[in-house]
Amino acid sequence: MENNRRKFLKIVSHSLGGVLAAGIAAPLVGLGIHPWLKETVYGTEDFINLGKLEDFPIGIPKKMNVTSSKMDAWNVFEGLVMGSVWVLRKEDNSLSVFSVNCPHLGCGINWGEEEKQFLCPCHEGIFDINGKVVSGPAPRSLYSYETKIENDNVLVNYKKLI
Amino acid sequence: MASKFGEWIEDRTGLSKLLKTALDEPVHGGAKWSYVFGSGLVFLFILQAVTGILMASYYSPSSTAAWGSVYYLQHKTSFGWFVRGLHHYGSSAMMILALVHMFQVFIFGAYKKPRELNWISGVILLLCLAGFGLTGYLLPWDQKGYWATQVATNIMGTIPVIGKYIKILHQGGADYGNFTITRFYTLHVFLLPLSLVFFLFIHIALFRKHGVTPYWKMREDVLRDRVDPFWPDQILKDVVFALGMYAALAGVIFWTGGAELQAPADPASNYLARPEWYFLFLFELLKYCQGKYLIVGTVIIPGIALAFLFVLPFIDRDASRYPSKRIPFFGAVFSGLTGAVVLTVLAMHHDSRDIHIIHQREEAEKQAARAVKLAEKGIPPTGGLSIFLHDPVALGEKIFKESCIGCHKVGGEGGDNGPDFTNFGSREWVAELLKNPRDQRYFKETGLMPPIKLPDESLLDMAEFLLSQSAGLVNQNIERVERGKGLVLKGTCVACHPMGNKDMKKMAPNLTDYLSETWLKEFLRNPADPRFYGTRNKMPAFDRLSDSQLDALIQYLFSLSKDRTLVSEKQEKRKEEYVFGLTAPRTSIHFKDRS
Repeated sequence: MENNRRKFLKIVSHSLGGVLAAGIAAPLVGLGIHPWLKETVYGTEDFINLGKLEDFPIGIPKKMNVTSSKMDAWNVFEGLVMGSVWVLRKEDNSLSVFSVNCPHLGCGINWGEEEKQFLCPCHEGIFDINGKVVSGPAPRSLYSYETKIENDNVLVNYKKLI
Repeated sequence: MASKFGEWIEDRTGLSKLLKTALDEPVHGGAKWSYVFGSGLVFLFILQAVTGILMASYYSPSSTAAWGSVYYLQHKTSFGWFVRGLHHYGSSAMMILALVHMFQVFIFGAYKKPRELNWISGVILLLCLAGFGLTGYLLPWDQKGYWATQVATNIMGTIPVIGKYIKILHQGGADYGNFTITRFYTLHVFLLPLSLVFFLFIHIALFRKHGVTPYWKMREDVLRDRVDPFWPDQILKDVVFALGMYAALAGVIFWTGGAELQAPADPASNYLARPEWYFLFLFELLKYCQGKYLIVGTVIIPGIALAFLFVLPFIDRDASRYPSKRIPFFGAVFSGLTGAVVLTVLAMHHDSRDIHIIHQREEAEKQAARAVKLAEKGIPPTGGLSIFLHDPVALGEKIFKESCIGCHKVGGEGGDNGPDFTNFGSREWVAELLKNPRDQRYFKETGLMPPIKLPDESLLDMAEFLLSQSAGLVNQNIERVERGKGLVLKGTCVACHPMGNKDMKKMAPNLTDYLSETWLKEFLRNPADPRFYGTRNKMPAFDRLSDSQLDALIQYLFSLSKDRTLVSEKQEKRKEEYVFGLTAPRTSIHFKDRS
């Protein structure tokens, strides 16, 4: 008899304790995973202006800072340098805009003026002027960004890597 | 498999043995509902800890970032408002429960030998709770917390000799700033929790050593013979109580919409600060201790009360726990309690009847709602307060209070030389003006315009037409406009008021584009222009205001009635430049207060 009473008390305690714990955990987990549910850091412009087309020499990649507005949780930063890109203006005035990060492990790559190639200093990755892998460990050609020219201004979509 | 794993864990850790020792505590005299308060406090403390830890991952302790981060938590995250509400109301619940627990211990005489240290550690825990409340209030860096905490740090400053230094140490400097937040944050999330856990450990260990203190009438043999195990008999009651408290908290949070977040702290404002309810009696006490007696309220009376609590187990040495044998102590404790309750009620009573406080509360709510609205577009790195710098309505209100409120009333405040601007520019305001220009609210006996003797509906038609000339009249009624147009143009209005040509001059103000942005701007610049009041003008010209100041003032005037939107041509243009919500027209705020 006594034993049954105890058993019952234990079951009720466990169940009510479980209900309580679940009730507390639900909102806590909901809040905790907020960064999965909503973008907390993001650039606020799609296409970012990098400057006039004539400022880019034909056939020589030029490194440019990408300056834009950025939302960082509650803050808005106007005119913040978000990163940089390599811009290559070709003969026909078309553009290639490459990420400065090596597709191998993300080191910053440089333009070798003498070699006329992109060089990654970390593991001696080498890319040609069109971003194709020449040698080294990189699994793919350089990442690039969508670009367009409007009123002689070079615009780049810095949000999406291609 | 599971049992094998369990055995392995048990063999290596002794976990279940430990749990058994922890939970098989005998409860002498039987499990009781009256014992749930202590464990209820432990539950609430754990709740405060988990909600606090989670909130800490969203909070940014600096004078520029704090408000923004709390705003983000409250308005932009899922459940953030609920978790913050739990933490906020949980602190009040802890305070209430701690007082109940303490009075129960006092009434049961549970502080008596050999439990003196248990009582003392309990008093220290109560002080820790007060410290949590005090330090947590400031962290959102909103108006309420900022100004209320000023009172607390100023009280520190009244302590003789060392007060000044203690104050500087807490503030992290001579004035409030970044270090005030980091220090209060450190106290709130590191020092106080560590102290609380330390003393809680002692408190519970001593409780386990000495056992429960039952009702004083319980006979010795019952106490000896009836023994319930802590688990599950007492724990079930504790869990039910915890569940009840959690449900009540959730209810309060849903009912109130969570903890309040007021507008960002503005050191330039003159906010009437009020502390959290459990400090109200101290606050009220200070009203009666002024000048050189201030120290009586800030240091001497609280000091005596605290000293009494600390020495109580040593002065009440009679072994009997019967209340009738402890009348002087009951007298002392309950007169102290009565004093605190009376002071609290007095403080609340005063505030509920003080027109300044009521007005300020309404104002604070409006400001808070506006701040939240403005913050939506992102808060500049210069901090929460700077969102207002980009808000023409707020700037306009400031200019109005500097330049206009001497003559014009808004919401019952201000002078009465000029028309009352409450609900200015609304349909009703214009219609009432037409009905009786010499009314107290308008031009009084100086008004030269004759009242228009038409039914109210027709007056509203005329108002609709007059206002429809400026952009931004909401829910325009075309039929009314047409009817009003007929009444105005065919009636006697145009005998005195020019209409249709904005440069035309007659004896009364030109009503072309009446109350539009440009009309208001030109009027404010020179009301004595022949297009307006001419030689009969009594209002000073505000040509010293810059273009943007005039814009802001007009935006504010537009915001005074719900009939006008704040969208103007200029803002429409800015809307086109609007890129990804960034340069969104901060001015087109359709501000609604909560009422």
